Amino acid sequence: MQLTDPTQSPALELRHVSKAFGHVVALDDVSLRFERGEVSVIVGDNGAGKSTMMKVLSGVYPVDGGDLCIDGIPTRLANPAKAREHGIAAVFQNLALVECLDVAENMYLGRQIRRWGVFADKKAMIDGAADTLTELKVRLPSVRVPVGILSGGQRQGVAIARAVQQNTPIVLLDEPTAALGYRETQQVITIIRQLRDAGKAVVLVSHDLSMVFDVADTIQVMRLGRVQGVRRRSVADRNEIIGLITGAIEADRRAA
Amino acid sequence: MIANDKAAETLDSTVVARSSTDAGSIFLRVVTSPQFMVLLVMLLFIAFGATQSAQFLNPATWINILRNAVFIAIVASFTTFVFVSGGLDLSVGSLFAVGGMASAGFLVAGMSIPLAILLGTAAGGAAGLLNGLLINYGNIPPFITTLGMLYAARSLVVYFTGGQPITGLPDAFSDIARANLFGLPMLLYYAAAIVIIAHIVLETTTFGGDVRAIGGNREAASNAGINVKRISTIVYVMSGLSAALAGVLMSARLGSGQPSIGVSFELQVISAVIIGGTSLFGGIGTVWGSLLGSLVLSILTTGLILLRIDPVLQDFVIGVIIVVAVGIDQLRRRRMFRSVGAR
Repeated sequence: MQLTDPTQSPALELRHVSKAFGHVVALDDVSLRFERGEVSVIVGDNGAGKSTMMKVLSGVYPVDGGDLCIDGIPTRLANPAKAREHGIAAVFQNLALVECLDVAENMYLGRQIRRWGVFADKKAMIDGAADTLTELKVRLPSVRVPVGILSGGQRQGVAIARAVQQNTPIVLLDEPTAALGYRETQQVITIIRQLRDAGKAVVLVSHDLSMVFDVADTIQVMRLGRVQGVRRRSVADRNEIIGLITGAIEADRRAA
Repeated sequence: MIANDKAAETLDSTVVARSSTDAGSIFLRVVTSPQFMVLLVMLLFIAFGATQSAQFLNPATWINILRNAVFIAIVASFTTFVFVSGGLDLSVGSLFAVGGMASAGFLVAGMSIPLAILLGTAAGGAAGLLNGLLINYGNIPPFITTLGMLYAARSLVVYFTGGQPITGLPDAFSDIARANLFGLPMLLYYAAAIVIIAHIVLETTTFGGDVRAIGGNREAASNAGINVKRISTIVYVMSGLSAALAGVLMSARLGSGQPSIGVSFELQVISAVIIGGTSLFGGIGTVWGSLLGSLVLSILTTGLILLRIDPVLQDFVIGVIIVVAVGIDQLRRRRMFRSVGAR
């Protein structure tokens, strides 16, 4: 057994991970590293395996083969609750919020503050939700309104605020700006930078290339379930990234 | 001008309010709630009835109405949990019979009264557990699972009793349901206690919050780390326990175990829950609404008799009310949530 120094290992790492659904191979021998204090953006065409990867990283899907390592230690994430225990918070593209519950209840979904063991401390959750949302400048009428009446942008704000509030070392964001206008997108970018500056490993899936170049430290291109290439943003070129996404540029030699 | 400045100030402020409940919105919420409509219609019905028959104002009539509502209210309280969790339980009528017959059988076999009550109720809980496991871990839809349980449990009741009533229950057992306290039947106190506990569990505990979350959006709840299968299974166990306990109380009231009790009882319970404003599609619903629904059914049954309306037409009235209640629920959801047709 090899000793691992958590300060040397990446916060989150996939080593030769594969995942299939029946005959469909969604992830094929994927190895990627996500470092602390960096924003890693995963890009790729539809069917590239981005969403599957996010679900693997957040504990929704178990891996078929290979290892998922947290601080260099191979870890099995049986479910999303386990992932959170290991310091991973996730914001999913859809399906993240419960429309009939209010904003505060959604902010504390699955991790309600307890009072006397079994009761929900609603006041503490309302205060906590209002403080976090105010801090992140998310515009909402009140934390007591049901999420069902909010706009797409407001919902995205709530979902991101929930992940931020959990204050985990690793934050996963699946298409965080998909439903947003310009101003709200800038707001999300600011939040992402704050998370990075706080030393967190931020993993982001996005279709929006201009946002990718705005916020990424590394760009990781997926294609047909494989890693097509990894580039530092500082040396990456927009045309090269598009070439990798479409397959016009051949995949990097695969790591042994 | 001043008003304009204030508006601009509010728009610019990014402080997220902790509450949306000013006096106006509370009033609006109460008036537009489905329970308010039901309450209003019932009060009109009672007022009209009182002009037609003096019996409507007789306290004895009301004690009778309340006593008849007890059994539906006890079960409807927990069927509310099932609906709010996004499920369905058709087996409560049969589990009502299971509880009633099991406790009667245990008593006749010489078991002590507390033990017979406990085991009779537990029998319903065991059936509810089986429902919950099949639905959540066997992935069989709730409609099919609990329909199967409706038939299977009723069949076993008839098989084990030969379809015969169980008589000769001790008087002390019957006293549980027949005794009065301060001039009111003990049954009312049991029902009140159970309804209040159910309300507190649904509205103030983290478990209640999780039940609402899994009914509102099962996948989001699961992704957020809620143990969806476990919560849902517990809800079916609670439903089975409440049905069987109500059955035990029915046997006590009748002084015997009747194998045919509770036939189509599940439909009355579901009607009460729906009339009370609980949604069939999960996430939305209250225990007190279901209590109101139980009272509506009981008031109608008694009231229509007092008005000398052919009892055959009772079910017509109930049918209309159910459809109208669900229609209002749909309208409300469409107005409340942006995504049309979604939960």
